[in-house]
Amino acid sequence: MKNRIIITIVAFCAMLNWNCTDLEEERLDESEFGGQAETISGAIAPAYGYISWTWRHTNYYGLQLIPSDEAMLPYRGGTDWFDGGKFLAAHAHTITPSNDLVGDAWNELTTNISRTLAAIEVLSPLADEGNQEALGALYEMKALRGYLNMLMLDSWGVVLRKESSDELSEVLRGQEAIDYIESELTSVVDVINTDRGPGRITQAAVWGFLARLHLNAAVYRDPYGTPSFTSEDMDSVIEYTDNIINSGNFSLSPEYFALFNDDNNSNPELIFALDQRGVLNREHSRWAYWSIAGSMFPRPEFTSADGTDGPAITSDFYQTWVDAYGDVDPAEADARFYQQNTIIPDAQLQDFEGRAQEVATETEDSYYCIAPNEFEMDRGILRGVQWGPRKGDDGAFLTCDGGVRIYPVQQRKGNGPDRDVGYVNHTLDVNFTNEGSLHNTGYRVSKYQFSRTSPNGNNFSSVDLVLMRLAEIYLMRAEAKLRNGDTGGALADVNTVRTSRTARPEQTPEALESIDLDVMLRERGFELYWEGFRRGDQIRFGTYEDTWTDKTDSDIFHRLFPIPQSAVDAASGIDGFLNQNEGY
Amino acid sequence: MNSLTIKQFIKLTFQTFCLLIVLALLNPVLAADARGQKLDNFKVNLSVDDATVIEVLRQIEEQTEFKFVYDRKVRRLNKTYDIAYNGVSLRSILELMAKDANLTFRRINHTISIDVKPEAPKRVVEVAFVTVAGTVTDEYGVPLAGASVAEKGTANGTITDFDGNFSIDVEEDAVLEVSYLGYKPQEVAVNGRTTVNIQLVQDATLLDDVVVVGYGTQRKSDVTGAIGSLKSESFNQGVVANPGQLLQGKIAGVNVTSVSGEPGAAQNIIIRGVGSLRSGTTPLFVVDGFVIDNSPTGVASNPLNFINPQDIASIDVLKDASSAAIYGARAANGVIVITTKKGRTGRTEMNLSMSTAMSTLANEMEVFSASEFREQVPAVGGTLFDAGANTDWQDELTRTGISKNVNFSLSGSSSDSFSYYVSTGLDDQEGIFNNSSLKRYSGRVNLTQKAIDGRFNVDLNLTASRTVNERPDTGALVTDMLQLNPTLPVYTNGAPTLLDERLNPIVRNRIYLDEANNNRILANIAPSLEIVKGLTYKLNLGVDYSTTNRDVQFIPYALLEGFEDGSLNTSTTTNTNTLVENTLTYTYAEGDHNFTLLAGHSYQETKFEQKVFELDGFADNGIEPRYQDQISTEVLPTTVNSVAFVNEQQSFFGRVNYAYMDKYLVTATMRADGSSKFGANNKYGYFPSVALGWNIIREDFMADNTLFSNLKLRASWGQTGNQDGIPSKVSLASYVDSKVENDTYPLNGTEVTLDDYPFGTVPVRTAYPDLKWEVSTQTNIGLDFGLFNGSFTGTLDYFNKVASDVVLFSNRIDPIQPTEKVWTNIPDLEIQNSGVELTLDYRGNFSEDFTYNIGGNISFTDNKVVNSQFEVITTGAAQGAGQTGATINGYINDEPIGTFYMKEFIGIGDDGLNQFTDVVPDGQSLDNDRTAVGSALPDVLYAFYMNFNYKNFDLGLNFNGVAGNKIYNHTAMSLFTKGQLSRNLNTTDFAVQFPNEDNSNSNEVSTRYLEDGGFLRLNNATLGYNLSPQSIGLGDWMNNIRFTLTGQNLFVITDYSGFDPEVNTGSTLDGIQTFGIDRFTYPTPRTLLVGLNVSF
Repeated sequence: MKNRIIITIVAFCAMLNWNCTDLEEERLDESEFGGQAETISGAIAPAYGYISWTWRHTNYYGLQLIPSDEAMLPYRGGTDWFDGGKFLAAHAHTITPSNDLVGDAWNELTTNISRTLAAIEVLSPLADEGNQEALGALYEMKALRGYLNMLMLDSWGVVLRKESSDELSEVLRGQEAIDYIESELTSVVDVINTDRGPGRITQAAVWGFLARLHLNAAVYRDPYGTPSFTSEDMDSVIEYTDNIINSGNFSLSPEYFALFNDDNNSNPELIFALDQRGVLNREHSRWAYWSIAGSMFPRPEFTSADGTDGPAITSDFYQTWVDAYGDVDPAEADARFYQQNTIIPDAQLQDFEGRAQEVATETEDSYYCIAPNEFEMDRGILRGVQWGPRKGDDGAFLTCDGGVRIYPVQQRKGNGPDRDVGYVNHTLDVNFTNEGSLHNTGYRVSKYQFSRTSPNGNNFSSVDLVLMRLAEIYLMRAEAKLRNGDTGGALADVNTVRTSRTARPEQTPEALESIDLDVMLRERGFELYWEGFRRGDQIRFGTYEDTWTDKTDSDIFHRLFPIPQSAVDAASGIDGFLNQNEGY
Repeated sequence: MNSLTIKQFIKLTFQTFCLLIVLALLNPVLAADARGQKLDNFKVNLSVDDATVIEVLRQIEEQTEFKFVYDRKVRRLNKTYDIAYNGVSLRSILELMAKDANLTFRRINHTISIDVKPEAPKRVVEVAFVTVAGTVTDEYGVPLAGASVAEKGTANGTITDFDGNFSIDVEEDAVLEVSYLGYKPQEVAVNGRTTVNIQLVQDATLLDDVVVVGYGTQRKSDVTGAIGSLKSESFNQGVVANPGQLLQGKIAGVNVTSVSGEPGAAQNIIIRGVGSLRSGTTPLFVVDGFVIDNSPTGVASNPLNFINPQDIASIDVLKDASSAAIYGARAANGVIVITTKKGRTGRTEMNLSMSTAMSTLANEMEVFSASEFREQVPAVGGTLFDAGANTDWQDELTRTGISKNVNFSLSGSSSDSFSYYVSTGLDDQEGIFNNSSLKRYSGRVNLTQKAIDGRFNVDLNLTASRTVNERPDTGALVTDMLQLNPTLPVYTNGAPTLLDERLNPIVRNRIYLDEANNNRILANIAPSLEIVKGLTYKLNLGVDYSTTNRDVQFIPYALLEGFEDGSLNTSTTTNTNTLVENTLTYTYAEGDHNFTLLAGHSYQETKFEQKVFELDGFADNGIEPRYQDQISTEVLPTTVNSVAFVNEQQSFFGRVNYAYMDKYLVTATMRADGSSKFGANNKYGYFPSVALGWNIIREDFMADNTLFSNLKLRASWGQTGNQDGIPSKVSLASYVDSKVENDTYPLNGTEVTLDDYPFGTVPVRTAYPDLKWEVSTQTNIGLDFGLFNGSFTGTLDYFNKVASDVVLFSNRIDPIQPTEKVWTNIPDLEIQNSGVELTLDYRGNFSEDFTYNIGGNISFTDNKVVNSQFEVITTGAAQGAGQTGATINGYINDEPIGTFYMKEFIGIGDDGLNQFTDVVPDGQSLDNDRTAVGSALPDVLYAFYMNFNYKNFDLGLNFNGVAGNKIYNHTAMSLFTKGQLSRNLNTTDFAVQFPNEDNSNSNEVSTRYLEDGGFLRLNNATLGYNLSPQSIGLGDWMNNIRFTLTGQNLFVITDYSGFDPEVNTGSTLDGIQTFGIDRFTYPTPRTLLVGLNVSF
């Protein structure tokens, strides 16, 4: 009996030992570290690669565009672009902390900053060992972190300073935040590369960031007050912009829209632009297709490349062009407003004009014929009926001898009375009423080219996303001079920009004869519309609390966005770490 | 019946139940129950002089409930006794007499039979008596050994031998009383016969039920926890694919909801309320001692479809922490213990059952008919497109599904030491959509063999099954059947009509296929050895191996853009789950003390491997893509995605059961659970529980009561864990070198192809070494009672369950962290569930031939989230254009899980657009106007049944229902808008509810689409007829022939306007579970089933 007990216990223990485990988790489909990347490029590529995502239309780009007076996005036809009301609230300045647009912009921007920090942590020890390539990359990452933090400051009034991933971020506001960003940028500006642009941050880009920081410092210092622009700040703006202009490395592009074409990488006006080469799925065309009509197919090579009937410019913003050029159609007066690429033969135009503008009344001559890869839709601000290819019942574009037929674009979207029977006709009035939110309403912006390398309009774009170019530098210098009382210098800089668009001489804007702050703001609007500057401009020039279409809010606390509720909630375990902005 | 009457009905039912409880509690007369007590516990006072055996026995009969039966031999004994004992145990008296008078005593319940041992002298039988011989068998004709046969009105009696035979001398006109434990007693008049064969019928009420608890079984009277048990007789009947369907509505506090009406559809099984934010709310399933892993198997429907429901003998649901804590870190959602059928001692039988069922769409939605459509489209300002036909698309796209089931089983035991149950089954279920079916081929072998005088015992359970599940493109089909213009003909010139920019659903059914083949083996072998008396060692080795191949394909179709290329998504999924368990059980009984000690170690490893291939671009050559060769191209590249993980779990556990005089019961358990999923700092979790039970019925003061047959009070406290919310590897940091999405960048500015792009090193996850399981702390107080000789029984339980350390994939605390979301246990947040459960059952009879059994259960659950640091945790993303990011469910402090969080719709304004309550009064309709507007989880869950037996007929009706919940009708939101109607898409009259609504008004998420979700369903009704094989001359061949007619889902009373109120097809957001969202749900069928069961 005794023996049996012992044998059993021994067997039992053997069994136990056989199965005893330390419970270390085994990885089968991943490794802790990838092992394929090179250290330096592996560190900085994700930080650079993320910027275009941060600037996606439904992230930071939309957050800058929609709240300003240059754009709005209604609930198209009661079916499209509602998305929880985030764009409506953004435009009306009634954003709440749970608004997804704010949440997404914040999340992507902070993630982007985190990626720069991760890169800095990899590069610093290498740089300390004397690795020059790592050192150069480190400067870029510091500059990039400074730039991204400046976007945080601009939109939320906070900067998140973090030097080590083991520490908690330090939340800086006001002057402290400005000082931090300035020290970061100045620490690298004299040592950073001068020749890797425009795809990477160069010395000129850092000068540009510094100029922007000083130009807006009055707002950043006291976001809810009336900005008090100091001459020191303005002098700094002039100094940094001088550096860029005088470097001789950049020149203004004669064709304005060439700045936003497939081949813009080599355009000498660009200082910092996100390099897109049509290789990656995520190289996006969203700045191009967002505003375009959903029924429009700008690339006859690809049947799926269409628009989305997204935002339109407000009638208020259009009015600034009308006010500037009076009787002359802005399309005639300013090369930046419009570029006609659809060459519609008179015969077709006459056919079009001589009848009710409906598909049903079309004659056989209502189209013209063009090779698919030669078709180029109009650029700039699109008004009225648009022309483009049309699909037949089989889903293929209707063809003609050797090409595709270009018709007035048939309305195929929405629930409006024009659906299927009428044409896409962009009207001036776009607003939140029933009528004003139909799919066709509002003038659209076709500033960016529909990339020829994109099979669907969304991805594989070769158009670089422009974040800084020489015209902005001139306009910053002009504004600084103006605020410092040098009206003549300001006028000269503004006119340099205006008169440089000489590719279509009859539409080159004429030089101005005088300038004041209102004209300065207007000129920035004409030159930089839909490039993410308008909200900041309006705050700096004091028009952000004005009234425009479907926007009556005048709460100064709405200059800054709320910190997303999700971020505040998540941080609420640490007392006082991340407080909600005033007024929310 | 409208909703008012449903509520009244629920109220009435509840009030009746309450009244019965009060009646029961007020009655002071309580009776003792001698069953289950040992002879030692009965004390007698004897004082006799020169008394015969019979006289002694009479004295004992006067003092106790025992009755003695004996034959004349005993009466003729002339031995006498002088006894004077006070308070001596009955056992010692009987032992004394047995020794002295050479007698054998044998106790069965209240009856003690006496026999003279063989060496006693035999005497001549008196002439006035006849000797009656015969056999006592059970309802299947199996001999019953040890049945008591007594002459009515006398003390004359005997007991059957091993073969069920008996022989007794009785008067010619005597009546025999035959009884056997667990069977209904029977009286048979002798009428001069010399041979009387008696067949006894099982009496379910008398069985002292055995309940399966973790790592063992217990008598129901010894159970201290809250356990709901269901035997196979009580399972839901009809077309049933998985265990969940068997127990829907059967056990209080267990909410089984099929997410749709598809064959073998996935289910939400929620025991005592939701205790997690994440999708890990499925209970733990234990099949014959093997813990099933809840990892997906690659079958899109219910992973438990592999178990043949006909093999299941019983299901026990461990609801409270005391009973579940032995399963530790996986038991927080409750444990469902499934026991399959075993061979029964002394019985050999074969059983063949066959059934055929017809399923049809139970409830058509009232979309406009073609003629109504012709009026409605112009009426809302649309231009009618009239193709001239009158098509009922719901009718065209559904069918009568024919389901067949054949099941054959053999079971029995060749001797005391070997028993077996072997079965094979074929289940072929057809859904009411084309391309929708579930086929299961299954086999099972359960063996038990004993050796070394019964001290070595080996149990073997093996089941293998192949499940073929074909699924339609439900979302598209439902959309089509509701939305398509009813004037469109299905066919034009013999070919499916070409529709504008969409597939004709007839074509879709032809070109679409989603078929999953699952092969699964679940086997365990459990040898046990009684090392010394009372000490048993048991080893349990098990494996659960499952492979699934799933193909989802579109055959190339040239006539519609986007379908020209054809596609194939093919995946293989392999799950390997192995278990090694060692347990030691020690039972010890001494006098009034009864101990059972359990100690064990368990090691379980689960491995999951999945590869998913995406292939596009197939030739239109008549060969299905899944059988075709295909070459990856630059335009249409082939992609492979692999997922694999392995989890280990190691556990040490122990349990002490102690009973004092069978009156006072204590159970204490402890389990230490270690899991590789937990973070480095929390590898082991400890899950204690303690429970007390008090069998009040056995107290002396209850001795005189005649009302109660059972009364027991239970109380328990314990903690269990939930690790389902934690995916593998999430506690570990991980970096990936990537060239996709936003991870790379053309740093040189000269890159031409992807090869030139650098890899970026990107964090996928940050380490979270503190991550641990969710903890559920539960208190339970329960009362079990039986009245009127056990004909009325019930259970009342109160529970309070609090989940803490809730796991969430939450936003980063510091905004500057590499990943936007991090895995964390949310501090302070609690999910509280409390509730009351009541189960009642009554058995009665109108006459001897006509018996009935009615009963039901009801549970009230109160669920809420407290101490959340989040203003709202949103989930249930709406889908469709313009709905990006719109949430439907939101979890807020002091509101239940499953709360709907949205704007309140108050009508259509003068501008023809939606108007919502302006909660934050700023004149704007913003997302801060969203509020909690009701919960998807019912407050009240109820079910009741009625079973009638009349001679050979039986009828069973099972109803179940819920109340207090809402349903979000996403289908109506997506499809039934006025704008769509104006564009020649069909709707119900929901779309034209507001005449002044503008066609461009939005279908924004709001209470406009929120509906009352309460319902009462006749879940199943079964009419059965038992045909006596003798009556048709097959008595020698068969034991039993049974015909059944079952109706499932015969009616539903509800206000809900969708196909069926039992739904949940919402899409989760960040893994947070949604409830009560109805989006293009596969409609529920109504089923009629004819069944035949023959046993040999």
